[in-house]
Amino acid sequence: MKKFSLRMFASLALALFGLSFAQSWDGADSLPTNPLACGEGAGGGAMAALDYNGGQTMNAPDMMGQAINLIDVPKLVGIGYFAATTLGQQQAAEELGNVTVTTDAPTEANIDDQIAVIESYIASGNINGILFAANDPVAIAPVLRKALEQGIHVVGYDANSEPDAREWFVNQAEFNGIAKAMVDSLAKEKGDSAHFGIVTSTFTTPNQARWIAEMQAYQAACYPNMKWLETLEAQEDAVLSFNQANTLINKYGDELDGIFGMTSVATPSSADAVTQAGLCGDVAVVGLATPNGMKPFVNDGCVQSVVLWNPVDLGYAATYVMRAIVDGTLKAGDTSVEAGRLGTLQVVNGSEILLGAPYIFTPDNINDFDF
Amino acid sequence: MTKVFANPVNLLPLILGLLALISYQFLPFVNQPDLGATTISTLTAARANNELGISTNGISLLPIGAFAALLLGLWTFSNPQLGRAASVFSLLAGLLMLEYFALFFLDYLAQGASFIGSMGLGFWLLLILALLLIFQVFLPRSKAGKEFQLRTLLANQESAILMALVFLIVSIGLASPRFLATRNILDILQGNAYIAVAAIGMTMVIITGNIDISVGSLIGLLAVVSGRMVVAGNPIWLSWLMPLLVGALVGALIGFIVAYLKVPSIVVTLGFLSILKGGLIIWTNGERVTNMPDGFYLAQMKFFGISTPILFMIILTILAAIWMRFSPMGRSFYALGGNAEAARLSGFSENLILMQVFILNGIFAGIAAVLYATQLRVIQATPPPGLELAVITAVVVGGVSILGGKGTIIGATLAAILLNTIRSGMVFINVSPFWILAVQGILILVTVLIDLIRRQRQLI
Amino acid sequence: MALDTAKVENTMAKRLRNLLFSQEGILFIILVLVIIVLSGRNANFLSASNLLNQGRLMSEVGLVALPMTYIIITAGIDLSVGSILGLSAILLGVFWKNLGVPLELAIILALIVGTVAGYVNGLFIVRLNVPPLIMTLATLAFYRGLAQGISEAKSVTGYPEWFYIFGQKSVMGLPTQLWFFIIATIISIIILRTTTLGRYLYAIGNNPVGARFSGLPVARTLLVIYSYSGFMAALAAVIFVSRVTTTRSDMGTGLELDVIAAVVLGGTSIFGGKGGIIGTLIGLVLIQLLKNGLALSGVTSDATTIVIGLVLILAILVNNFIQRRRDS
Repeated sequence: MKKFSLRMFASLALALFGLSFAQSWDGADSLPTNPLACGEGAGGGAMAALDYNGGQTMNAPDMMGQAINLIDVPKLVGIGYFAATTLGQQQAAEELGNVTVTTDAPTEANIDDQIAVIESYIASGNINGILFAANDPVAIAPVLRKALEQGIHVVGYDANSEPDAREWFVNQAEFNGIAKAMVDSLAKEKGDSAHFGIVTSTFTTPNQARWIAEMQAYQAACYPNMKWLETLEAQEDAVLSFNQANTLINKYGDELDGIFGMTSVATPSSADAVTQAGLCGDVAVVGLATPNGMKPFVNDGCVQSVVLWNPVDLGYAATYVMRAIVDGTLKAGDTSVEAGRLGTLQVVNGSEILLGAPYIFTPDNINDFDF
Repeated sequence: MTKVFANPVNLLPLILGLLALISYQFLPFVNQPDLGATTISTLTAARANNELGISTNGISLLPIGAFAALLLGLWTFSNPQLGRAASVFSLLAGLLMLEYFALFFLDYLAQGASFIGSMGLGFWLLLILALLLIFQVFLPRSKAGKEFQLRTLLANQESAILMALVFLIVSIGLASPRFLATRNILDILQGNAYIAVAAIGMTMVIITGNIDISVGSLIGLLAVVSGRMVVAGNPIWLSWLMPLLVGALVGALIGFIVAYLKVPSIVVTLGFLSILKGGLIIWTNGERVTNMPDGFYLAQMKFFGISTPILFMIILTILAAIWMRFSPMGRSFYALGGNAEAARLSGFSENLILMQVFILNGIFAGIAAVLYATQLRVIQATPPPGLELAVITAVVVGGVSILGGKGTIIGATLAAILLNTIRSGMVFINVSPFWILAVQGILILVTVLIDLIRRQRQLI
Repeated sequence: MALDTAKVENTMAKRLRNLLFSQEGILFIILVLVIIVLSGRNANFLSASNLLNQGRLMSEVGLVALPMTYIIITAGIDLSVGSILGLSAILLGVFWKNLGVPLELAIILALIVGTVAGYVNGLFIVRLNVPPLIMTLATLAFYRGLAQGISEAKSVTGYPEWFYIFGQKSVMGLPTQLWFFIIATIISIIILRTTTLGRYLYAIGNNPVGARFSGLPVARTLLVIYSYSGFMAALAAVIFVSRVTTTRSDMGTGLELDVIAAVVLGGTSIFGGKGGIIGTLIGLVLIQLLKNGLALSGVTSDATTIVIGLVLILAILVNNFIQRRRDS
C-alpha cells in the first residue's frame, strides 16, 4: 500500500515538473490575420469581392409579405449582452409587424444544449426561420444544414457558423476593426510603448481568440514597441476575472500599463480590480463591454474607452435581414440590404452583412446608451 | 477549552501574532528621512511606488510571518491537542521574520545609514516578537501537546493543507519574489473568501452525511436579491440582511424535504439547482445590477488594512469551528453523520438536526452572496459557472469525510485559500495557462493523498 | 376449480399491483402521463422523426448513465465522466490529425484512453481507499485539464465522411448511436440481473464491509465498473464528435449532473444497494421528452429547467409516499 502511494506521488510530481515547462499561450487562434492600416480613420478599406458562399434553403415555402415565426437561439440566455440583442429583435419585429421572434437558448454556453434546442424547434414544424449565435462554428453546422434542408431560413449574428450552414451572417464589426479600435485606444491612453495584459473568457471561444490574434497582428505592425505580457483565462466568472486582473497587477507591478478585457464580464471586473487597487490612471483598462456595465468606471474617469458595437442594433439588423430573405429582396450576389432605421448595410466576405465600424464609448457619450 | 488555558504557553503564538500585527500596522518601524516615521504598511506601499531610496528585499515577509503566527495561534486555540505542531509553525514564522531583519539590516548598512537612530519602536518590538516566536518552541507545554513527533504534525488534514500552503508559498516566492508582496497575499486570501464562507455551511451539511449541489445557484440568486433591494431604495443594512433571510428560507425548504419527506439531499438539491437557476434567469432576464449606492460595497471596505471578506472568512471560520466543537448543536451534527442510529438513541431529533443544518447552510450562502455581490460594482445576473463544485472541492480537500461524521471547518477554509494560492501561483511561475487546470487537479489529488497516507499511518 | 382460477387471478392481480407500484412502475406511469399531456400540445411531438431524433440526442447521456447506475448501486459516484468524454474526444482528434494515426485506430485508442482514465479512478478508490466522490472530483479537474493542455485550445475538424455514421446516420431505420445504446442497455440489464457481478454490485452497495469479509472480490468488481464507466464515456465521446463534426476541450462539461439526474430519477438510491437499469432508462427518457416536449409547446429552456427540477423532486416524493403506504 505504501509503495503504491509512493509510486503515485512520484508520477504526480514528475507530471507537475513536466507541465511547468510547457510553452506559454497568448490566447490567439492560428488563423491568418489581416491587420488594418495604422493611424486614424475607421479602416475597412477596399475588400476583395467574394462570391456568395452561404447556403441555400430547399423548397422553402414562399412567405413573401406573410407573417413569419422566428426562433432566436443565442449562445445562452441570462446575460446582458444577449438580452440586448433580443431587445433589438423585438423592436424590429414590432416595426415590421409581420414577424414574431421567440428567444430560447440553453442556460449555459454549451454546444450540445444549443443543438438540442434547435433540433426541437425544427421538429415543431411551426417556425420559418432561425436566428443564431453559435457556441461553436463547426459543431452547430450539421443541425443548421438540416434546417436549411427543411426549408427553414437561417441567419447568424454575433458568432458565425461555417458559411454554407447558414444563408447570411450579420457581422457586428470586422475582427480587425475591433482589434484596431482596442489597440489604438490603449495607445491613446498609455502611449505607443505600453505593456499590457489580457483577461479573456476561455481558450475555446472562437470570437475572443480571433480578436486577440488580430490585436497582436495590428500591434506588431503599428506599435512595435508595445509589449504583450500575458493572457489569462477567467471563464464568464466576474470574481475570477477580478482575481485574475489582480494577479496581473501584482505580478507585473509598474511594468503593467494596461489591461484588455475581452468579454462584457471581464472588462468591468478588471476595471474594478484597478479601481480597488488605487491604480486608476496608472493602469488603463480597455475592453469589450456593454455600456451599462461600464458606466460606473467611465463616469469615475477610471476607464476612458469601451469598445463595442450596439448589440441592440445587431439583433435588429438580423431580424431585418431574415425578413429580406423571406421576401426575396436579399438574394445571393446582392451587395447591400435595407435594414430599417440602420439604413443600407453592406455585404462583405461573400455572405456577411456588416453592421458597421465598432463603436467607442467615451465619458462624453456613454450615458446616452441604455443596454 | 480548559486545557488551552491550563498552560498559558499554549496561547503564546496567538498573543505574539496579535502584537506583531498591531505593531505592523500602527507603530513607526523606521524613521525615513523622506517619509518620516513610517509603519511597515506605508513602507511597503512606498516601496511598491519606488519612492524608497533603499531596496528592502523581503519587506513583505514580515507581515506574512506575523499573520501566519496569528493564524497558527488561533488554530492552537481551537485545537489544543496541536499545541506542539502549531508552535513549530510559529517557529517557522519567527524565522521568516528574522530573515527579513537580516536582509533589512544588510540593506541599511549598504546605504551607510545610522542604524540605531533611525529605527522606530515597531522595529524593536517586532524583533523581540520574532525572537520570542522562535524561543517559545523550547518552553514546556501542557500535557495535551505531548512530545513533538512527525505523527503529531500529520495528525489532521489542517496541518497537511497548511504544510502544502507553506510549501507552495515559499517555493513560488523563491521563484518569483513579487508573489510574496503583502498585496498579493491579501488578494489571494480575499479572492476565495466568499467560497470559504459558503464552505462553512457546506462543511456542516457534509458532516451530517448530506450534500448541497444547489449552493452556486443560490448564491447567484441571493446576490441579485441583495443588489435589487438596495437599488430599489431599501436601506443598505436590510439589503445585506435579506439574502441571509431568503437563504435561511430556501435552506429550511430543502431541509424540510430532506428531513420530513425523506428525499435524499442530492436529489433535492439537484432539483433546486435547476429551479433556482431557471428562476433567476426568468426573473432577471439576464440584466445585471448596477448603480448601487456607495455604502453598499461591504466587501470593498477595510479594517486595519485588511478587507472585510478576509475578516469575515477568518472570524466566521473561528466562531463556527469553536461552535461545532463545543456547542451541543454542533456536536449533534457530528453525531448524526457518524452514526444516525446512535444519534437518535442518544436523544437527538434527526429531523430537527437536518432542518438546522440546511438553514445554517442557507445563511452562510447568504453571507457568501453578500460578499460576492458587494465585491464588484456590477452584479452579474448569472452565478459563476461551477461555483458549487468549487465549494464542494474546498470542503472535501479540507478533509471533511463525504461519508459524514468527520472533518473540521478550518480545514475547508484553508483548502479554499490553498485553491486560490494555486491559481495565483501558477500564473506567477508561468505555468502555461493550458495546463493550469491539469496542475490544479494534480495538486488536489496530492493533498488528498497526503491525507490518506496520514490516515493509513494512524491505522497501522 | 373456481377457487383455483380465483387464486390465479388473485396472484396475477397482486403481481400486477406490485409491478405497478414498484419504483419503475410509478415512474412509467408518470412518463405516460407526461407523454399524453405533451402530445396534446404539439402534433409533431409523437412523430417518428422527432422521437428518433430525440433518441439520437439522448444516446450519449444514456450510454454513460448505464455504468453510472452500476456505480451508484455500489454507493459510489463518478463525477469525472464529462471530463473523460472531453479527454477522449480531444485525443481522438489529436491521434488522428496531429499524429497521423488512421482514424479507425484513433477511435480504438480513444476508447482505450477512456477506459484507462476510468481504471485510474478505480485504482485510487480501491487501492488507496479514496472516497469515490473525492477521487472523481479531483479527476474532474485533472482530465479536463489534460484535455485542455493537450489540445492547446485548438479544435480538430474535417473528419472523413464515413466517420459521421456514428453520430449522424441511421442503420436500419434507427439512428446509429441508438443501436449502440439499445445493445449496451440490454447487456447491462442482463449483467445486473443474471450474473454474479450484478449480485456483487448490490452486495457491495448494501454493506461494503460485509461484502469484503464474506470474500467477494470487491476490489476487482469496483475496478471493472469504473473502467466500464470510462469506456462508455469514451464511446459517447466518439459518437459526440461524429455528431457535431468537431472536437473541443470543453466537450461534455456538466454531463455528470445530467447523468446523475437520470439515474437518481430512475430510483437508484444514492446510498447504494437499490435500483436498476430499467429505472435509469425511464428516467432518461422522461427528462429528454420533457425537454423536447416543453420546447415544442413553446416553453423556453429556462422554464424547462425549473420543470425538470420540480419533476426530479416530486417523482421521488411520490414514490416515497407510495412505498411507505405499501409498507404500512
